[in-house]
Amino acid sequence: MKTKKANLWALFWAILALLYFFVPLYGTLDFSLRMQRGKLSLMAYKLVLSDPQFLASFRYSATMGLITIIVSVLIFLPTIYWMYLKVPQARPVVEIITILPFIIPVIVFTFGLIRTFSGPPFQLTVTPFRTDILITIGYVIISMPYMYRAIDVGMRSIDVRGLTEAAQSLGSNWLQILFRVIFPNLRFAILSGALICFATVIGELILGDFLVRPALGPYMVQVGRDSAYQPAAMAMLSWGLTWICLGIIQLFGRGNISRQITGR
Amino acid sequence: MAYLDLIDINKSFSETPVVHDFNLNARQGEFISFLGPSGCGKTTTLRMIAGFELPTSGKINLDNKDLTYTPPNKRNVGMVFQSYALFPNMSVADNIGYGMMVSGKSKAEIKQRVSEMLSLIHMEEFGKRYPSRLSGGQQQRVALARALAIRPHVLLLDEPLSALDAKIRVELRQEIRRIQQQLGITTIYVTHDQEEALSISDRIVVMNEGKIEQIGTSTEIYNFPQTEFVAKFVGQINLLPVVVVNPTEGVVKIGQQVIKAGQFGHLNGNPIRLAVRPEELNHGFIEGANNLYGKVDGISYLGSIVRIRLDIEGHPVSMDVFNERKLAIPSVGDQYQITFPMDACWLI
Repeated sequence: MKTKKANLWALFWAILALLYFFVPLYGTLDFSLRMQRGKLSLMAYKLVLSDPQFLASFRYSATMGLITIIVSVLIFLPTIYWMYLKVPQARPVVEIITILPFIIPVIVFTFGLIRTFSGPPFQLTVTPFRTDILITIGYVIISMPYMYRAIDVGMRSIDVRGLTEAAQSLGSNWLQILFRVIFPNLRFAILSGALICFATVIGELILGDFLVRPALGPYMVQVGRDSAYQPAAMAMLSWGLTWICLGIIQLFGRGNISRQITGR
Repeated sequence: MAYLDLIDINKSFSETPVVHDFNLNARQGEFISFLGPSGCGKTTTLRMIAGFELPTSGKINLDNKDLTYTPPNKRNVGMVFQSYALFPNMSVADNIGYGMMVSGKSKAEIKQRVSEMLSLIHMEEFGKRYPSRLSGGQQQRVALARALAIRPHVLLLDEPLSALDAKIRVELRQEIRRIQQQLGITTIYVTHDQEEALSISDRIVVMNEGKIEQIGTSTEIYNFPQTEFVAKFVGQINLLPVVVVNPTEGVVKIGQQVIKAGQFGHLNGNPIRLAVRPEELNHGFIEGANNLYGKVDGISYLGSIVRIRLDIEGHPVSMDVFNERKLAIPSVGDQYQITFPMDACWLI
């Protein structure tokens, strides 16, 4: 009797949560389809996708997202690997450092970046290319909590020390160990981190706005100021993109578990 | 002629010494076990041979070449880990061929060696499987084949059977010994299981608190332990405090009962104890042998043997007898007489 009552409450809260998430989403979808008076149409989507500025800003943000992923993996993978192997006691300190982007507001961090690196000797804002370097540094730091945690979880799921020593005793050097043994066993963890990293960069507003780069975030805000239906269409498109990313993580993540569960 | 030579090896972590004055000469093709309780330094010593730890002082020579500071990937020393440490992303064949692949061997050579190794471990049909689809025993066989595929100078095994169940352990240890003898490879085997060490080793190094207590064959270690630790750690032992009556003839007293000990060791004023293994004791009285009287304190069935616990002059004594169907088992509280030959006991 008690269990039945508990089940009903669980169902009630589940339905409430679904309504909380899906009613606004449905509202946005419905609104994005009502650009033409009196009928449902994909006009807002057509306008968004045919706008050359949208494509340019999406291309820019996607490129920066990919660069951010590559730089993040190259920095965090060897660092976390080294930490696990040589200084595991440093983990609590590193964990605190990696959550700093959640604590420091992005606007404060962006001002700090501009003040520190725009003047000599760095002068990272004098050309678009240099500004792109600065914005990449910013994106890497903003997405650090996600990338760090994804790799950290992956490292915890494998016997890092055992695999390293086994590979060493078989004659591997450090690069061979990293790229033939450790990296392939972390590819799903890295993929998860990469997709979240990509989504973060795609939606990021403040860095792109203050460094005056043609990123998707500032473009979306601009469109939101000027028109009514296109922002709703863009919100739905970005929502769809996020779900595709999550789907890919789920798809590969499942394969990962079944392969690693008894492999250690 | 020593093949693997460990000379005055010392190792400390921070200020804590873990291995002291370790000296060992291993001959080519010899199977040596490091036996001792947890924390005695056996794995640390093995890791120093592998190159994963550097000795604080001392030297490691392999075939007359100084190996002390050679990095692990340049030593050509195969290692098998307790946790198997198979690469989860590679198939069995790829795991076995990995060492050859990183050393730049040709595909044909790798394929041939992998096939040889699979046949050596009797797993010819498992080449394409992934480690997650193998049992623990099979994974450890693959780990052994992987370590052997690089044709190492020395094979190191760090408690390779600890994670397996008892039956598989017995089978696999015989398998390891068979392969080691077939290949004639110098092997160092770390274990805390005395039965394992006694059954497969040419020589055993018994370690305690970072020091070597005794090096010897299984017979020497079991039948002629040189220290109290070895006597207690390897097998069961009865240690009875005695009073020396006649040092020249080896006559001692346990309470009011007089017996004669074969080997007279340390009579330099230290407390003397009589050591005798439970299986050396028999029920009854034999004229001219050592005979003791006591009271039965308890009985334990251990399968093929029955352990009878006695109280002799206030001291506990265990006696092991084969569990035969017609065995007359005494009851707790019975008076009991035991006998053992003079040369079955010694003083420590």
